[in-house]
Amino acid sequence: MRIILAEDNDILRKSLSFFLESKGFSVDQFSDGKEALEAIEKENYDLILTDINMPGVSGMEITQHVRENLKSDIPVIILTSSGVEQTELDSFDIGANEFIAKPVSPAVLLVRINKLLKTRI
Amino acid sequence: MNKNYPIPENELQRLAALKRYNILDTLPDDAFDDATRLVSYICGVPIAHISFIDEDRQWFKSEIGIGVSEVPREISFCNYTILDTKIVEINDTHKNETFKDDPNVTGGFNVRFYAGVPLTTPDGYNIGTLCAVDHVVKELNDNQRNALSIIAKHVIAQLELGTKNKQLYVQRKIAERAVLARDSFLANMSHEIRTPLNAIIGFTDLLAQSELNETQHDYIESVQIAGENLLLIVNDILDLSKIESGSLPIESEPFNLKKTLKHVYNLLKVKAQKDVEFNLFLDAEMPDMVIGDQGRLNQILVNLIGNSLKFTSEGEVTVSVKKVDETDESYSLKFSVKDTGVGIPENKIGTIFERFTQGEESTTRKFGGTGLGLNIVKQLVELQKGEVHVKSKVNRGSEFFFILSYKKTDSAEMAIKTISKNDLGNLKILLCEDNVLNQKLAKSVINNFGFELDIAQNGEEGIELLSKNEYDLVLMDLQMPVKDGYQTTEYIRCEMNSNIPIIAMTAHSLVGEQELCYKVGMNAYVPKPFKQSVLLKAIKTVMKPGGDMQQKRIIDMSFLDEMACGDPEFRKDMIDLFVEKIPNQSEQLAEAFKNVDYQNVKKLAHNMKSSMDIFMLNDLSDCLTVIEEEALKGKFTAETADKMNIYSSGIDEVVKILKEL
Repeated sequence: MRIILAEDNDILRKSLSFFLESKGFSVDQFSDGKEALEAIEKENYDLILTDINMPGVSGMEITQHVRENLKSDIPVIILTSSGVEQTELDSFDIGANEFIAKPVSPAVLLVRINKLLKTRI
Repeated sequence: MNKNYPIPENELQRLAALKRYNILDTLPDDAFDDATRLVSYICGVPIAHISFIDEDRQWFKSEIGIGVSEVPREISFCNYTILDTKIVEINDTHKNETFKDDPNVTGGFNVRFYAGVPLTTPDGYNIGTLCAVDHVVKELNDNQRNALSIIAKHVIAQLELGTKNKQLYVQRKIAERAVLARDSFLANMSHEIRTPLNAIIGFTDLLAQSELNETQHDYIESVQIAGENLLLIVNDILDLSKIESGSLPIESEPFNLKKTLKHVYNLLKVKAQKDVEFNLFLDAEMPDMVIGDQGRLNQILVNLIGNSLKFTSEGEVTVSVKKVDETDESYSLKFSVKDTGVGIPENKIGTIFERFTQGEESTTRKFGGTGLGLNIVKQLVELQKGEVHVKSKVNRGSEFFFILSYKKTDSAEMAIKTISKNDLGNLKILLCEDNVLNQKLAKSVINNFGFELDIAQNGEEGIELLSKNEYDLVLMDLQMPVKDGYQTTEYIRCEMNSNIPIIAMTAHSLVGEQELCYKVGMNAYVPKPFKQSVLLKAIKTVMKPGGDMQQKRIIDMSFLDEMACGDPEFRKDMIDLFVEKIPNQSEQLAEAFKNVDYQNVKKLAHNMKSSMDIFMLNDLSDCLTVIEEEALKGKFTAETADKMNIYSSGIDEVVKILKEL
C-alpha cells in the first residue's frame, strides 16, 4: 500500500513516515504542498495523509483538487491542529474522509488508515 | 421564449460600471427595501423591485411580490428599459406587440401593467431598473411618474454613498495601520537606542571618575548631560508606547506622600534659574501616607515642574497640594504647579496636551524637548482617573492642576505586612552591585527583612565570594563594571555549575531584558528602584522549595518510542534533528515576536508545536498554542510576552537535556 504524506514539520513527518514504513506501508514524504500535489497527479497512491496547514498548497486545497479536478475517491486523512473546531466540518465538506487532531496518536492513525483502506477494497 | 432581447450599444462599459459598485449578490439592505416599498405605495401596485442587469441575469436587490432573487436576462422586461433614458410605461401588455406573447404576460408573473425607470449612474450607464408591476391594466399620473424618477435617483445616490463609504473605510484602515507602524517603530527604536545609551552613560560616568584635566572634565560633563537628555527623550517615547498599548499598570501601594513631594522638590531645586523663587506649599490637613502609585505621581510632577522651571526666567514657581475632599475611604487632593513664565498663547492651549506639539514651533529649538511630556502627563493623570487642566496667559505665566483620589492606608494592614515579611528563616544573601547608594539601600532593606547581606562591587568579586562562602541567594545588578550581571550569571551557571537562585535587579524594565535574564539562567526579575514588597515576593518565589525552575525536567519519550517502533537508531536521529532545528527556530520566533511579525510568529509557532508534541512537552506546546492564537488575532498582549519567556527558558532547558543524552 502506497501512502503519500505531506507535513511541513520535519520531525513529525520523519516520525510518521518511519512509523508507517515499520507497519509495512510504502511512504512518499513531502514538506511542500505543491510538490505533494504534483506527485499525487503523477503517481498512483492508495491514501493521502496531509497536514491542514502547509506552505504552498494547504491540505484543504489538496483534498479539493483531488476530489474536484482529479475526480478521485482516494481516501484522504487531514491532520489538524487542536483548538481549530471549524476544521472538522470543513474537511468533511471538501471531501476528506477523516481528520485527526494533533498530537497524532500512531495507534489511532494506524486504525483509521486500515479502516479506510479496507472499506475501499 | 423571447431569446432575442436587445443589447445596449455600450454594453461592455455598462457592465464595467455595474461591477464597480460591487452590488450584485449582496445582502438585503433597508435603504433599498424602503425605496421598493415606496414604489409600491405610490403606484398602488402589488409588485415592485430594484434590480441590476449583468451579462446573463436580472438580479433583484430588493423586491416585493416576486419571491426569487434573480431571473434569466432573456425573460426580463427591463432589457428594454435600460435602453431608454426615461420611464418606460406599458399600460396593457396584452395590447403591446413586443410583450403580448411574453411568457411572463401569458403566464408566470401575469404582468399586465409595467412601469420601469432606468437606474442611471452619474457617468451615464443604465445598470439596472426600478419597476412597478401590476396584474391589471393601469396608467400612472404625472406625480407618480415623477416620484419614480426621484426614487431612482435616490437609489443611485445610495449606491454612490456605499462605494464612497467603502473607500473611506479602506483609507481609514490604511491610516490606522500607518499610525500603528509608526508607534511600534518608535517603541522598537527606543529599545534599540536605550541599550547602547546605557552603556554610553555608564562608561562616561566611569570615565568622569578617573583622573582628567580640566578640559577633559568639561568635555565629559557635556557628554554626560547630552546622554542624560537623550535618555529622557527615549524614555518618554517608551512610556508613551506603553501607555498606548495599555501595558502601563497603575500600582496601588502605600507610600509617603509628603516625602515624595519633598523628594521631587529637592531633586528639581537645582534646575531653578537664578531669579526664580521655587516654593512647595503643603496643606496642613494633607495626609502623610496614602495608597496609590508613587512612581507615576513622581513622573507627573517632575514633568510639570520641570516645564515650569524651564519656561520661567524670573518670578516664581509654586507647587501646592491641597486636600479638597475626604471620605471614609479616600482623600481627594488637588496638585497645582504655577509659574510666572512665558505662558501659552490662547490658540495653543487646546492642543498643548497633544503629542509632538509645543507652545510655539520655535520652542523646540529655544527650549528643547520632545513635545511628549505633557501628553504623558495627561495620560498618566487619566490612567489614575483624574483630569489635568491648564490656565495660562502669555508673558504672565501658567498653572497646571489636577485632582487625584488616593485610598487611605489601613494602619492595621500595614502592621500585618511588616510582621509577615519573613517566614524564610535567616537567609544569607549576596548582592552584586557597584553603586554605593544602591548598596546602602539594599543593605538596610535586606537587614530589615531579617536576612544577612554580603556585598560584591562587581561580578568578578561576586564569583570570588560565591566560591568562598555559602549563600542562599544572589541579587544581581545587570550593569556592573568588570563583569556585568549576564556574564556573571552565565559563569555561575555554566562554569561553577551552581543552581543558586539569582534575582536580577535593573533600573530599566525593558521587555527584552527580562527575557534575556531568564535566558542566561536567572530565576526572577525585580525592576529598580525596587519596592520592598516586590523584592520580598521575588525572594519568596525563588526560595520556595519545588519551584519548577530548580527542578530538572524529565522528558517523556514514550510517544517518540511508539513512533520509532522500538528502533533506538531512529529515536536518536529524531533527537538530533530536534536539537539541530529547534534552537534556530526558537530564535526566529523570538525575532519575529520582537518585530511584531504576526505572520511569521503564527507560522513558526504552528510548525514548532508538532515538534513539542513528539517529545510530549505539553507545557511548551501550550505556550506555542497561545502565542499562535494571539498572532492569529493580530495582537500581542502581556500574556504573549509571558508565554514567550516561559517557552524560551523551557526550550533552552529541554535542548540542554537532550544534548546531554
